[in-house]
Amino acid sequence: MAVALVMPRLGWTMEQGVFLQWLKRDGEQVRPGDLLYTIEGDKAADEIEAFDEGILRIPPDAPAPGTTLQVGALLGYIIQPGELAPFEIDQPPTDQQLAANGAQPAQEAFTDQRQPSEAEQPTKRAASVSPRARRVARELGVAWAELVGSGRTGRIIERDVRAFATQRAPAPADGRLRATPLARRVAEDLGVDLGQLATETPGRRIGRADVVQAASAVSKPATEALTPLTNVRKLTAARLAESARTVVPVTLTTDVDATELVRLRKQIASDLSASGLLVPTYNDLMLKLVAVALGEHPALNASYTDAGIVQHAEAHIGIAVDAERGLLVPVVRDVGRKSLRQIAAESARLIEEVRAGTVRASDLRGGTFSLSNLGMYQIDAFTPVVNLPECAILGIGRIQARPVVIDEEAETVAVRRMMALSLTFDHRAVDGGPAARFLNRVREFVARPFLWLTH
Amino acid sequence: MIDTPATQLDRTAMLSLYREMLVIRRCEEQLAKGHQAGLIHGACHTYVGEEAVAVGVCAHLRQADAVFSTHRGHGHALAKGVTPRALIAELFGRATGCSQGRGGSMHLFAPEVGMMGTSGIVGPCILQAAGAGYSFKLLGLDQVGVAFFGDGASNNGAFHEGLNLAAIWDLPAVFVCENNMYATEVPFAYASRNTDIADRAVGYGIPGVIVDGNDVLAVYEVAGAAVRRARSGGGPTLIECKTYRTRPHSEGMRDGSYRSVEEIESWKARDPIRQLYATLTAQDLADEQALAAIDAEVQAQVAEAYEFAKNSPYPDGATALDHVFS
Amino acid sequence: MRELTYTAAAREGLDEEMARDSRIFVVGEGIGVRGGNFNTTLGLYEKYGPLRLCDTPISERGFVGLCTGAAMTGTRPVVDFMFVDFILDALGELFNQTAKIQYMSSGRLTMPIVLRGCIGIGGSAATHHSGSYYSIFANIPGLRVVVPTTPFDAKGLLKTAIRSDDPVLFLEHKSLMNTKGPVPEEEYCLPFGQAAIARTGTDLTVVALALMVRKTLEVAEQLASEGISVEVIDPRTIAPLDIQTILASVHKTGRLLIVDETFGPCGIGAEIAAQVMELAFDDLDAPVRRLNGSHTPTPYSPTLEAAVVPGPPAIARAIRELLAE
Repeated sequence: MAVALVMPRLGWTMEQGVFLQWLKRDGEQVRPGDLLYTIEGDKAADEIEAFDEGILRIPPDAPAPGTTLQVGALLGYIIQPGELAPFEIDQPPTDQQLAANGAQPAQEAFTDQRQPSEAEQPTKRAASVSPRARRVARELGVAWAELVGSGRTGRIIERDVRAFATQRAPAPADGRLRATPLARRVAEDLGVDLGQLATETPGRRIGRADVVQAASAVSKPATEALTPLTNVRKLTAARLAESARTVVPVTLTTDVDATELVRLRKQIASDLSASGLLVPTYNDLMLKLVAVALGEHPALNASYTDAGIVQHAEAHIGIAVDAERGLLVPVVRDVGRKSLRQIAAESARLIEEVRAGTVRASDLRGGTFSLSNLGMYQIDAFTPVVNLPECAILGIGRIQARPVVIDEEAETVAVRRMMALSLTFDHRAVDGGPAARFLNRVREFVARPFLWLTH
Repeated sequence: MIDTPATQLDRTAMLSLYREMLVIRRCEEQLAKGHQAGLIHGACHTYVGEEAVAVGVCAHLRQADAVFSTHRGHGHALAKGVTPRALIAELFGRATGCSQGRGGSMHLFAPEVGMMGTSGIVGPCILQAAGAGYSFKLLGLDQVGVAFFGDGASNNGAFHEGLNLAAIWDLPAVFVCENNMYATEVPFAYASRNTDIADRAVGYGIPGVIVDGNDVLAVYEVAGAAVRRARSGGGPTLIECKTYRTRPHSEGMRDGSYRSVEEIESWKARDPIRQLYATLTAQDLADEQALAAIDAEVQAQVAEAYEFAKNSPYPDGATALDHVFS
Repeated sequence: MRELTYTAAAREGLDEEMARDSRIFVVGEGIGVRGGNFNTTLGLYEKYGPLRLCDTPISERGFVGLCTGAAMTGTRPVVDFMFVDFILDALGELFNQTAKIQYMSSGRLTMPIVLRGCIGIGGSAATHHSGSYYSIFANIPGLRVVVPTTPFDAKGLLKTAIRSDDPVLFLEHKSLMNTKGPVPEEEYCLPFGQAAIARTGTDLTVVALALMVRKTLEVAEQLASEGISVEVIDPRTIAPLDIQTILASVHKTGRLLIVDETFGPCGIGAEIAAQVMELAFDDLDAPVRRLNGSHTPTPYSPTLEAAVVPGPPAIARAIRELLAE
C-alpha cells in the first residue's frame, strides 16, 4: 500500500511550509531514517527523514522546489516493489459543486430618501434610583420618576417609594394590584400611575390598552402617543437598516445647468398640447437620460454580492413615489429601450397605481437603479439611500433660476436654470472615479440633451 | 519474569522484552507520524531510543504497583499495561483514550493498570511515587511506587525533598532517572558539575546505581534488585540509566542546534532493540524470521490502533465540567 | 452543654475520625511526639503511633506531593502546616497536581487529603506568619476551602473535611484557637456550603469571615442599643459558598457589607459582591460595600498591625455609612 508523503506539520502553529528539494531521486530505494527532502517550516530549513521502507515515487506534477504549500499537501509516495504509485493508476475525477451563480434575489424594492431626522425629544431623566426601589415601585404601581430621593446621592430608595405609596389613594379592595406584566412595563415607560388607575378600574386586571388609554387621556406634555407600525413602515425600516448596515455609501453632488432641459420640455409640451397626449415629466426625461448614461457606465448598473459583482444587462429604474401608505418605488423596466413617450406612459401608470393602492408587487421589484426627486419640495442636494441590491441612486433637486458665470474669461453672468444632482453609490461595488464619471455624464446629458436624444 | 534474575531469563521472557520494546518503538513512530499529520494536538515527547528502561523496569512490576511518570511517558504507560489503542486515542484527543481525551500526552492516567499519571510538570512524580510507598507501608502491602524522570528533574527541589523523605521513612519506592544528557536543549553537563546522578544517592543514605540504559538485560537486572529491596522493606533505590533519545525533545522541534548528527548516529548504533536482537540471534534463542514475525505482528497491532484512534469519536463538550470534585 | 476551645474541638474531631478509619494519617512539622505547635495533635501520637502521626523535615513541597501520591493510592492524609503561610512553598503541587488529579483521571482517582494550618493577623506574628490566602485557593477549581469560626464549626467541619474525597483547605484563625464555645457530646458533622446566620437582623446584612465574625457580632450588639438591627452571616465555607443564605438576607434587608481581614483586590468579598449584584440586583437599595484589611504585607509593631486590620470602630463606621446610603 503506497504511503503518501505530505508537507509535515512541524510547529504547533505551522500551517504552511516551503518545499525546498528532494534528497533522493524518483525510483530510489528508501530505508527508515534516510533523509528524503528538505522543507522550510516556521524557522530555517529542515531535513525530513523517512519513516518507511520502499521506493520513492515522485509524481510528475509534484511541487517544484521553492513552492509554498499547505501542511498536508502531497509531495510523493513510498511504494513497495511491484506496486504502482497512485498517480499511475487511472482515477475517476472527483465531483465538484458549481458555485451558485449570482442570481439577483427577488426583493421588494422599497427605498426611502434620508429625511432630515427630527430632533429627538429628550426623555425626562429621573434622579438615580436603587434597583430595589424600582422593583418595589413596580410592585406597588408607583411612578417613581416624580419622587424626591432621600438616599445619600439623592438616590430614590425603597423607603421613598413606600412612603409615597402609603400617602396615596388606598390600594384596591383586594389588596394586591392586578395588572399584566406588559401593562406594568408600559405604565412605567409612559409614567402612568397604576395605583391610581386601579382605583378607576376596580375588580379587573389592568391591561396594556388601559394604560395606553390612560396615558393619552392625561394632558401631560411629556406623554408620547404610540402609533403601531404599519407593514410598509416596518418593511421600509428593515430595508433602510439593512442598507445602512451593509452599504458603504458615498454621495457626490453636482450643480447642473438644466436650462436646455427646461427648454426641451417646454418644446415637447407645446408640441403635444394640441394632441392631448401625455407630456413627459422632468422625471421621465431624467429616466431616459440616466438609462443612456448607464449604458455608457455599466458599473453603476450592477449589484454587489459576496460571490461577485452582478452586471445587469438592462436598466430597470425605480422611481420613488410618496404615497399615503408610505414610500414606494415602482420600477420602469428596460428604460434604455423605450421611447420617451413609452416611458412617460408607464411612469404615469405606475404612479397612479401607487397612489390608488393598486400597484402590483411585481412592479415594485427588480430595479437595477433608482431615482428620487425631491425637487417639488424645494430641496437642492440631499443624501439618498442606496436601495439594495442596487449599487447607486440618483437624487434630483429642484430646478431654480440662478445667476451663474457663463464665461469665466469674459466674466459674464447670466440667469440659468440650475439643478442639484446627488448620486449616492455603494463604494463596495463602485469606486469614486467611475461614479464621478457617470455623474458627470449625467450632468452633460442634462446640460446638452441632444447628446442622448440622438443616441 | 517478575522476580527472575536476568541470568536465568528464558527465551520466552527475553522475547517478551523484545516485543515490549517494539510495541513502544512502533507506537512512538506512529505518534510521530500522527503529529506531523496534525492529528495530535499539543506536544508529543517521544521515547525512541529509551525503550529498554521502561521495559526493563516494568517487567518486575505487578498491576497493583504504582508508576508515576513525566512528560516523556508513553513508553512507561505502554510498559505498565496501557494498550496502544488507548494511548494513541488519548493523544488524538478522543473519548476512547486512556484519559478519555482529558489529558493528552502529558496527563495519561490508567489507574486500573497502575499507571498513575504522566505529568507536564517535572518533578512531582518523584514525590507521588514516595507517597504511594507511604500508602503501601501504612496499609501493610508489599507493593512499590516507581517514579520515572529525566536528568532535568534531578536538579529540582522535588528530587531532593522526595528522595530524602523516602530515605528517612524507608519507603518502598524506586526512583528511575533516565539520563539522556539533555533537558530539552540544555546539556546536563551544563546543569550539573557532577553528571553522575547516582552519586547523589549517597547524600540521602540510599543505594544509587548506574546502568547502561540501552541494555535491557542490564536494566532488568538492576531494577529487579531495587524492586526486591523495596518490597522487602529495604527502602528506596536511585537508578540512573544512561541513555539517549534519538528524536527531538518534542515532535516538530528542530534537533540540529544543540547536538551533532554524529552524536545521534553514535547512539542509534546502540539502539536497544537492535542490541537485544543481536543477543537473541547470537545466542540462538531466535532467528531472523521469528523476530521479523514479531515485528510484523506489532506493526499490525499498532497500525490497527492508529486506525481505531483516527475513527474514534471526540468527547462530548458537555462532559468538560465533570469530575472537578468527587 | 460543655464548652471546648476551638483547638480542642477540632482535635476531638480528628481523633474520632482516626479511630474509625485506619487509613487516615497526619504529617507535619512537630505534630508527632510534640503534639503540634498549636496542640492540634496533642495526645494522638501515643494513641496511633509514628506511622500515623509522622514528623516531617522542613519540606513542604515534598510532603504535599508525597501526600498527594498517598491519597491516590488508598490512604487519607492530613497535612498540618502549622502556619498556612508555609503552604506557599507547595503551591505548585497543590494547584497543578492535588487540585487537578480527579479531573485529569476523569474521576477514577479521588483526592481525600486535608491541608490545615492557622491563618490570620494577630499577636504581631508579622508578615510571614499572618497570611490567609483563602481567596486564592477558592479561585482554583478542584479545591474546597473551609474557614470555621466557632469550636462547634471547627469540629463538625473538620470531620466532614476528613471524610471528603476532595482536597480540603481547612483554615483556622490563630486568634480563634483559644476561644471557647459549646460543643455537643454526640457525634456530628457539618456539611460544606451551609452558612450560619450568626445574628438575625433587618436593617442590613453583614457577611463576615473568621475572626471578623466575632468582631462584627460585638459591633452588632453595641448598635442594637441604638436601634440598628444588623444581620450577620458567617459563610463558614467559601468553596463551596452558600450564596442562597446571603441572597435571602439581602432580599430582606436591601444592604450588604462584607467584612474580611484579607486583601480586597480579587478577594472573596469581590466574588460575593459580584454574585449578589448578578442574582439580586433588584433587591439592592444601596451599593454593596466591602471592608477589608489593607492591601499591604502585615507589619510587626502592634500599632502598625492594628492599622491594617478592620477593628470594631471601622466595622461600626462602615455599617453606619452603608445605612446612610
